[in-house]
Amino acid sequence: MFLVVLPFLVLVLVFSYLPLAGWATAFFDYKPALGLSGSEFVGLQWFRMLVSSPTQLQQIGQVMANTLAMSFLGIATSLLPVFFAMLLNEIRAPWFKNAVQTLTTLPNFISWVLVYMIAFSMFSTSGLVNSVLNDWGLITTPIKFLDTGEHVWLTMLLWSLWKGLGWGAIMYLAAITSIDPALYESARIDGAGRFQLMRYITFPQLMPTYVVLLVLSIANMLNNGMEQYYVFQNAFNKEHIQVLDLYVYNIGITGNSLSMATALGMLKSVISVLLLVTANAIAKRARGTSII
Amino acid sequence: MPKTSDALKRTRGDVPFALVNYVGFLLFALLCAYPFYFLIINSVSANDVSALGDIRLWPEGLHLSNYSQILQLDGLSAAAVVSVARTVIGTACTVLASAFLGYMFTQERMWKRSLWYRLIIFTMYFSAGLIPLYITMKTLGLTNSFWVYILPAIVQPFNIILVKTYVESMPRSLQEAAEIDGAGTIRTFFRIILPNMTPILATVAIFTAVAQWNSFQDTLLYITDQKLYSLQYLLYTYTNQANSLAQAAQNAQGNLGAIVSAATTQTPTSIRMTVAVLVVLPIIFIYPLFQRYFVKGIMLGAVKG
Amino acid sequence: MVVVPLLGALSLAACTAAGSDDDPSGPVSIDQDWSEADPITVDVYDGLANYMGIQGGWFGKIVKDKFNMELNIIAPNVAGGGDTLYNTRVSGGELGDLVVVDKGRQMDELVEGGLLLDASDYYGSMTNVSPFDTAVQHLNEGKEGVYGFPTSVSSLKPTESSEGIDPTFGPYLRWDLYADAGYPEIGTLEDLLPILKTMQDAHPQTDDGKPVHAISLFKDWDGNMMVTAKQPATLYGYDEMGFVLAKADGSDYQSIVDPDSQYVRSLKFYFDANQLGLVDPESTTQNYDTMFAKYQAGQVLLSWWPWLGQSAYNTEQNMADGKGFELAPLQDQKVFSYGAEVYGGKQIIGIGSGAEDPARLAAFVDWLYSPEGILASASETQGAAGPEGLTWEKGEDGAPVFTDFGTKAILEGGADVPAEWGGGAYKDGVSALNVSTVLPIDENPDTGYPYSYKYWPSYQETTSNPLTDDWTSHMGDPASTMDYLQQNDQVVVAPGASFTTPTDSSEIEAIRSQVKATIIEHSWKMVFAKDDAEFDALLAQMQSTVDGLGYATVLEFDMANAKAQNDARVAVAKEFG
Repeated sequence: MFLVVLPFLVLVLVFSYLPLAGWATAFFDYKPALGLSGSEFVGLQWFRMLVSSPTQLQQIGQVMANTLAMSFLGIATSLLPVFFAMLLNEIRAPWFKNAVQTLTTLPNFISWVLVYMIAFSMFSTSGLVNSVLNDWGLITTPIKFLDTGEHVWLTMLLWSLWKGLGWGAIMYLAAITSIDPALYESARIDGAGRFQLMRYITFPQLMPTYVVLLVLSIANMLNNGMEQYYVFQNAFNKEHIQVLDLYVYNIGITGNSLSMATALGMLKSVISVLLLVTANAIAKRARGTSII
Repeated sequence: MPKTSDALKRTRGDVPFALVNYVGFLLFALLCAYPFYFLIINSVSANDVSALGDIRLWPEGLHLSNYSQILQLDGLSAAAVVSVARTVIGTACTVLASAFLGYMFTQERMWKRSLWYRLIIFTMYFSAGLIPLYITMKTLGLTNSFWVYILPAIVQPFNIILVKTYVESMPRSLQEAAEIDGAGTIRTFFRIILPNMTPILATVAIFTAVAQWNSFQDTLLYITDQKLYSLQYLLYTYTNQANSLAQAAQNAQGNLGAIVSAATTQTPTSIRMTVAVLVVLPIIFIYPLFQRYFVKGIMLGAVKG
Repeated sequence: MVVVPLLGALSLAACTAAGSDDDPSGPVSIDQDWSEADPITVDVYDGLANYMGIQGGWFGKIVKDKFNMELNIIAPNVAGGGDTLYNTRVSGGELGDLVVVDKGRQMDELVEGGLLLDASDYYGSMTNVSPFDTAVQHLNEGKEGVYGFPTSVSSLKPTESSEGIDPTFGPYLRWDLYADAGYPEIGTLEDLLPILKTMQDAHPQTDDGKPVHAISLFKDWDGNMMVTAKQPATLYGYDEMGFVLAKADGSDYQSIVDPDSQYVRSLKFYFDANQLGLVDPESTTQNYDTMFAKYQAGQVLLSWWPWLGQSAYNTEQNMADGKGFELAPLQDQKVFSYGAEVYGGKQIIGIGSGAEDPARLAAFVDWLYSPEGILASASETQGAAGPEGLTWEKGEDGAPVFTDFGTKAILEGGADVPAEWGGGAYKDGVSALNVSTVLPIDENPDTGYPYSYKYWPSYQETTSNPLTDDWTSHMGDPASTMDYLQQNDQVVVAPGASFTTPTDSSEIEAIRSQVKATIIEHSWKMVFAKDDAEFDALLAQMQSTVDGLGYATVLEFDMANAKAQNDARVAVAKEFG
């Protein structure tokens, strides 16, 4: 049985593990043209540099706070796609259900750059929302929705929910179909109503999928991605919007410090795997089954 | 669908619930659909007006030159062929591999099963960086080769997890029935498991197909041969080209020459919007084809009978 | 165990490439007819190109006919992803058969890594390049070979401006509205504020009802500092060197965070402007495209660059109506101007060490420096005239004039090229190399006039309209904006020393990237501060934060570079002056 899996393991080895040899560059001042042998060995310099001055530590502290806040908000709302799928499943008219499903995945396909364009059109000082409020006489000076440092975490959460909710629900919609109809039948014989079916059958049956995804997203706590935050950032919200990935981009990519980027990537990989193992252990204790 | 049978008697809360449910989804769907509508009306409006963000309900200064200019791009059809090919072949490979591996990893008899499984899962969180990846591909002779689109994407940890979880939640009776018949693991997979996995495979297929269709990073890194450009990459470079031309103005001396018409001169923004519409449209048309797999539940009857 | 080959590749890719071209063959002549040679396709890694793929059209046909080769352009600008393409290709040991890269760090490491070919053997017979031998020698100094050829070389003196007609920087106002305000005299930078206020108050909206703001800013190009706040400093002869503003004549060096610096003065200027309601409140959130569209729509009144306000708003229609951006001089200005770079510009052309037919590439490079090559390949944005016989011809007096086709193709928005020249739209056939080997302002020995059509008498006669007529008559009939600045001693030329800024060490780079993020963030906040107290508090906060990050180290480095640059300017002015 192992032998039939072997070819796939070879693929993983070649495309995922072999390139990890490149982590070696984290300990050098790597210059691509000169190769590793022509680059200077610097040991742990890049790791130390991340925390070299108090001001920097303070910046990193703020960055970590943003990162974790956004991740926790994301995790806290991770049940929404489950409810989305359950409620959509209650819709009877197939055409309506399909239309909703298609339309709600649309935002997922629109790049953040364009999402920002739309946001700008709606929320800039001369945007739709401000003009409407102004016309109704509710405000006299435009509200600066986009360049305020307040509620940044919350607005970012709302944007990402809006973009990802429909798409994220797909997996649960699929999972609902795997539920054994016999469960519903016997519950119905016992006189369970619609909400009881949802509460006592559908929801618990979706939990395995949910928990798996939850564990995976806990491991991903440091990886918020940066595109969303990049397009929305400006001088006024930067303090609260700068997550780790964006911070790395802001200080890194304009320069050429490949080694520093590698060092960070390596650090993040290790932390992610540690988080994964920990979350898995907790899940195992709580639910009795291991995810990985 | 377990509850399409209307035998279910309506409880008191049903009607208000259904109403709220319908209205809620309707509103959210509109909220999600509007941005796409926004892109469409902006991409057919005068480019100098749309750049100001003033077009919100209907187009202004209607013109189709954004589309005609992009559709006239050199090599567009060839790139479309490459994109379709990588999407179809790549999706087929990934779906099969995910289904197979996801199932195999539920088989407790496999030697060192959890070790291999973990090895695969961990790769989700590893990033080696682009340079080692490039060197790997170059060493393997995959640069400027179509297979660079397919091979590295075959084993997808996330999809394997989805499938594995799905298989684990399938009624035990399915597998047991097959095993009683004396079918081997592999035969059980093809005869019993695979046909009963369509919903999750449809999910995996959607994820993979969209990822393949939208990917341009791999072309950027590994391909310089124009014949192998993917559609997304071609459009992406077209956007960048507009961007870098706009920046080149910085070095230009004085007037760039009379601009023929600000309304139809493409800007990076107008191109981005047009490209987004062009790229999303095929997805919208193909997506409903997958949807029917979500409605079919497991046909337990097939096993029982 | 499997790891070994990859580590080997990481470390050795470059070295193996270095060993292969060591055969001592002696000088090789490139003087032969290449049109009959075997057809080849060459990969051109071109840091300036704005097009990716096979060069087609009329330029492609010229290259094909002359050298029987096709150019496959690899353009990092188009590919995107910053330095990704460069880094990965270089790590693979192969950048391109022909490369256009930056001098300094990139060129040095490519030479050291053995990715560039020593073209010494061919250089002897590259007769079109030899007039610029000083620049070639200067570029390859200390490299034991000829690895690169300089671009944008010039036979002008380094103390002469390279800018010709329009300066790179300048205070450009909506001239029609400035005229309505009665052409008030502008003593110094801050005097602009009341004038802009008058202009904006007189025209609070465009004809179609869109709001007008005198000033609209954008953040897309912010680098070491807020880019729009650097611009006013250039009007007083300063240019940036990292965090230093250095005056063109070497008389002053300022740290930008210093309260007395021109940079802080600019921030204060914007702050005051914002208090007066002159700054577009969307400045902080809009991108370049949106801002540009506002210029196009006439919603902005001030531009620090001719290419911004003029290229957006000075359309033929607007100019015919007397509307558009023109220079409105500050009485105390000394506009920074880049001198002609005798040693060449920022980029170099090199031949890859893995090139299949280096002799042919050397011949091609040489051709790029011939009058024919310059006219055909020069960058379009710099006024490239195109090939003789197609777009232009010599008139009766020998001076160049556009053909009917040339007028259509270049000045009037485009035309299709005749089949014998390769067909297709003219602009699609323009050289994608986008590199000017010789400055377009240089004189073409064949005609006695500059390569760029913008300096041809026949072209200058055709460009007259109510806007420029009004400006010219008001300014005392100068031949051009640059001419006005020179007559009134309002320009300061930084001699073109082709100074290459040394690369930041990794440590400096790490500090710099954090410092500049801090400076940019605070600069924007200062502009939009609610009162003077907040402005000052933010300034103080910016200073203490950057100090904490290690600003002093970077400043010292930048200061040394700025002074070294000035030394080079003095030296080159002396040598060629």
